[in-house]
Amino acid sequence: MASVSMESQTPPKTVGAKPAKFVSPWTVALYAVLTALTTAVTMTLVIPLPTRGYFNIGDAMVFFSAFTFGWRAGMICGGIGSAMADLLLGFGFFAPITLVAKGSEGLVAGILGRTYKGATWAKILGIWAGGSCMVTTYFVGEWILYGFGNAALELPLNVGQVLFGGLIGLTLSQAISRYRNPNPKTT
Amino acid sequence: MTGFIDLYTEASTFLHRMDPRVKIVAVATLSLLALITSHLVYLLVLAAVMVVLILFGRASYKKTMLAFSYVFRVMALIVVLWPLFDPRGTPVLFGFGPIRITEPGILAGIATAARIFCLAAAWYLLMFTTSQRDLVRGLVKMGLRFDFGLSLAMSLRFLPTFSAIVESIKDAQRARGLELDKGNLRKRARDYVAVLVPTVITALKMADTLSLALQSRAYGARTDRTYMRELKMRAGDYVALLIAVAVFAIPATAKYIFSIPL
Amino acid sequence: MIPRVPASVDQDKIISVHGLKFVYDGGVQALAGLNLDVRRGDYLAIVGGNGSGKTTLAKNLNGLLRPTSGSVIINGTSTSELTVAELAKVIGYAFQNPDHQLFCSSVVEEVRFGPLNLGYSEAEVAKKTELSIEAMDLSAVKDQPPFSLTLGERRRVSIASVMAMDPQVFILDEPTTGLDARETDDLMDSIDRLNLDGHTVVLITHDMKLVAKHAKRVVVMSEGRIVLDSDPGGVFTDLELLLRSKLVPPPVSQLAHRLSSLGVPREVLSPEELVFHLMSGRGARR
Repeated sequence: MASVSMESQTPPKTVGAKPAKFVSPWTVALYAVLTALTTAVTMTLVIPLPTRGYFNIGDAMVFFSAFTFGWRAGMICGGIGSAMADLLLGFGFFAPITLVAKGSEGLVAGILGRTYKGATWAKILGIWAGGSCMVTTYFVGEWILYGFGNAALELPLNVGQVLFGGLIGLTLSQAISRYRNPNPKTT
Repeated sequence: MTGFIDLYTEASTFLHRMDPRVKIVAVATLSLLALITSHLVYLLVLAAVMVVLILFGRASYKKTMLAFSYVFRVMALIVVLWPLFDPRGTPVLFGFGPIRITEPGILAGIATAARIFCLAAAWYLLMFTTSQRDLVRGLVKMGLRFDFGLSLAMSLRFLPTFSAIVESIKDAQRARGLELDKGNLRKRARDYVAVLVPTVITALKMADTLSLALQSRAYGARTDRTYMRELKMRAGDYVALLIAVAVFAIPATAKYIFSIPL
Repeated sequence: MIPRVPASVDQDKIISVHGLKFVYDGGVQALAGLNLDVRRGDYLAIVGGNGSGKTTLAKNLNGLLRPTSGSVIINGTSTSELTVAELAKVIGYAFQNPDHQLFCSSVVEEVRFGPLNLGYSEAEVAKKTELSIEAMDLSAVKDQPPFSLTLGERRRVSIASVMAMDPQVFILDEPTTGLDARETDDLMDSIDRLNLDGHTVVLITHDMKLVAKHAKRVVVMSEGRIVLDSDPGGVFTDLELLLRSKLVPPPVSQLAHRLSSLGVPREVLSPEELVFHLMSGRGARR
């Protein structure tokens, strides 16, 4: 009976091989987790609505990622996480719009919200500015795809969702920053 | 919202066997085609073609209906609301103050709804016939850097885990008297914080462990990493790719270069 | 014939389960028709292998899951007429993973969360909080954030926050997992005291040593059914049934079994008892 000999294979030489220029393992893990969380929260904590499908608190995760880990995390994890929810829930064609809407929301909120050492008013400004990006993007996108009527109907709902999500995201980032205080990586 | 659906259904149709990169390109071209088409009849034809393709995909009936239920709702709303804001053309069927409902207006609304159907169907074709792992492989092969692809694959893998954790935490807090579906906005915001804080903390702890796991598996040790399943385009894939591109290129040329109305 | 604890007066029955069947959404039947009566003041352990239905049963008791058929009657009222929040006033459920419940910035705030939800007045909340924190030996850490505490302390916070809701029944899901010997002893001492104070305690566990040492009644579950319901001594003598239910009696019982020819009774539950019987057995046989 042939046996597989472990000795017959020498592992490829690693000494002198070029290490890959990848982001750190922590970044890979963190972004994976934040993205999955954003998608999970967007999908499981929901109130169904007639038009865009749901009133969800995914924005809370977008803001949290942005405030706690910076604009890159906010943009990438918030954008991709929210878009994935669209894909998995049945409106995949909307995903590109969501990607831009939530991505810009995270980007802007992350930049503004971390100024002045992450003061509360800075975060509120971030929510307001980021939220505006999101609402505008959705309005324009929906106008193009669905027509003015649907877009106008959705507008107040989106505004309400952003404000609610913003409130939760703000509280969340304050609560978690206490937990992570010993860690110098965050605000 | 109950549970998390993986839209993918295991089968071995020609769509399943197609290289995921081709399918991704096809979604893009089909979407663009739907977007540039305005004539109702053409849109309906396109919709019919999409339906046939979906049938070829042999997705489970339940998943298909579940996935489309949202789309149907949006389509219904479009058909209802569109004519109210599109007063062009004649004959006018109904006039009341600033509102003019015209026949072309109604038809335009139906056309838009058909277009949304086509857009949705294109994405479903992809999601029904491609496993998540193949999707990520396709993206990486198309140029997505390995570390980003890994992060994406990991987040897909952890999705059901986190959904379950959120449910578990919801239960745990409900057992302490938390009532999520009652109360004014401020109370509800605090309630969601009671669910989200433990969730996020648990997730961040997992991220710590994952990061260690990656490091102990030689993540990033060398640029020229080996891959277990290499994607290779076969003859059939190239043919499909050609068709996918032609399906958009021909009508686009017709419309924009030769001004044939579409 | 399943040995049972003696029949009780009806008002004494704080939990009464009849013909409880539960089927999960995917079609998996987790509970196949259970009957169980728990009296006020019982100290009960529910044991069983993974998948036997222990947690499913527990969640049916506090309303997180609703019976597919059959009934669960708490304090005379059927659970179908009560919300989870209302049931939380009677049944306090401490989850297996305390980190799934902790989210406040201090232990005090955490413990107050439950009674506040239930609508008690500020004064009552303060009193209950103080009592629970003391009962669980958390006074020293009461102003610290829960996440900075050790696992044993976090478990105690989780139980204290349940205790502050002043329930009559405590359901504790695997409370000693991950604790070292000393922490386990401390925690179980607090739980024993709860029972001495008159609370009904239901322990879900598969640690048989724990059961032998603390529980007064053991319910063995297997594949969604109750297969044995007796005092610990009685349960540990039925070896084949335990093995079929994917359980193993504590080392002390296993030893007692093998030493029965030396006059050691099989219902021995602690090393002290074992030694006593060994000594007196040898003395008697001379």
